[in-house]
Amino acid sequence: MAASIRRGPGHWLSSYLALLRFDIASQRTWLPMFVLTQVLFGAGMAIIYGFYLGHMSHQEALFVVSGAPALAVLTSGLIGVTTMVVERKEAGSWDFIWSLPAPRSAAVASTFTVFTLMAIPGIVIALAIAAWRYGLSVTPSPMAVPAVLLAALMATSVGFGMAQLIPNPLVTGVMVNVLIFVVLLYSPVAFPITQLPHWLADVQRVLPIYYAAQVLRASVTSGMVQDVATAYAVLAGWTVAAWAGTAWVVGRRR
Amino acid sequence: MRAAAHAYWRMFVWDIADLRLLLPVLGCVLTLQGAGFVLGIGLFFRHIPETAAVFVATGVPVMNLITAGLIFEPQVVADQRLRGSYDFLWSLPVPRSMMTLAWYTVTLVVALPAMVIALLVAVARYGIDFDVSPAIVPAVLLTSLTGVLIGYAIAHGVTAPMTARLVSISLIFVMFGFSPIVFPASQLPGWLAAVNQWLPFGSMATITRAALVGGEAAGVARGYLVVAAWAVASALVVAWALGRRR
Repeated sequence: MAASIRRGPGHWLSSYLALLRFDIASQRTWLPMFVLTQVLFGAGMAIIYGFYLGHMSHQEALFVVSGAPALAVLTSGLIGVTTMVVERKEAGSWDFIWSLPAPRSAAVASTFTVFTLMAIPGIVIALAIAAWRYGLSVTPSPMAVPAVLLAALMATSVGFGMAQLIPNPLVTGVMVNVLIFVVLLYSPVAFPITQLPHWLADVQRVLPIYYAAQVLRASVTSGMVQDVATAYAVLAGWTVAAWAGTAWVVGRRR
Repeated sequence: MRAAAHAYWRMFVWDIADLRLLLPVLGCVLTLQGAGFVLGIGLFFRHIPETAAVFVATGVPVMNLITAGLIFEPQVVADQRLRGSYDFLWSLPVPRSMMTLAWYTVTLVVALPAMVIALLVAVARYGIDFDVSPAIVPAVLLTSLTGVLIGYAIAHGVTAPMTARLVSISLIFVMFGFSPIVFPASQLPGWLAAVNQWLPFGSMATITRAALVGGEAAGVARGYLVVAAWAVASALVVAWALGRRR
């Protein structure tokens, strides 16, 4: 019977919608924690950097403020998404999800959708608090929509792929802590990349952190960012690479 | 007296053996935290002012001491509670004061190397002239002791492991971000600077800084008093929490 073969775009879409309901329902208790983490790291760090720097020029303050959304989105991808993946691993939920009669790509796509959208309120709140703290007004351009969506999707995908690819949750935990340290102290998010030593700047030109900050900064300020196109391209590249890694680890048989 | 000394030594050996896998990791984490922070903060400035460099260089050792005592201890005890070894430890025929003293020693053994490395990195990176006075000994001992006692008060006073962990993680945020340890209190908003006058972290940094670079004598006596007061208050909480019968 042909009707019993479940495949094709229609089946994928209905699976995706069903799993979307599943993901939203399972994340609803999480959402407040998730937003709180983002606000703490986004707005909190923007405020803390101000204490570290002492008296700041207008330009320096603008860098800190326009870096807040990137801090929020990167930490949500690194902390929020990896925690969720690891918790589900330990609870055995992934085995359950993969056993559902739905394409695994639909399951992953629904998780990416939910976490990407969940990141948005935190980004906006972090930017608003940071701008208020330094008395700066930021005017988001229409480019804020693709910038926020791509940065959040990249952070979600990389966090998800990393947590799935690393088999040992302890190693994932260590990686997350190291990366947070790198993001908060050694990344040109709250200050210009020219302040880094050359070798570190070169490393940052490969990693997605700097580019996430660039696209978000370009969407709320004007004249601070050159070559936004490269930044979008690199972010898209990292997103696709994370998808490839995820597809490999999720799709293989064990 | 002999019995107490013996108990102290046995507990010290016990702690080292119990945490033999964790302590080297903690040592590395503290070293990375210290050296990493000293180097990282410099990136935020195009040209770091000398005062800022001195504050970072002298504040980071204090962060190391606090992290080892205040952050690490509650997490270890939370683990012990979950595994059930907590009750076993308290059933040992050892004075609890000696247990605390042994743990204090372990904390110092782990934190001191990280602290020295952070100072050396600061010298290499910022060329700071340290003028170390003998006061460094009481300053470091008191800072570490207060950190350990506050950590003990949280670890033993808060019985739910998750809550203890949450408190210690929030304290990291307070310590790194909202306490004048690696930057002058004048860079905080007035009300926050005033609150910090009564919290231990800023004062710990004041007394340690005074012992490392000399000068800046203002507020040192007050700093010692505030830190000591926190030590005494925490010791009372610890005595209550450890001494009561359950």
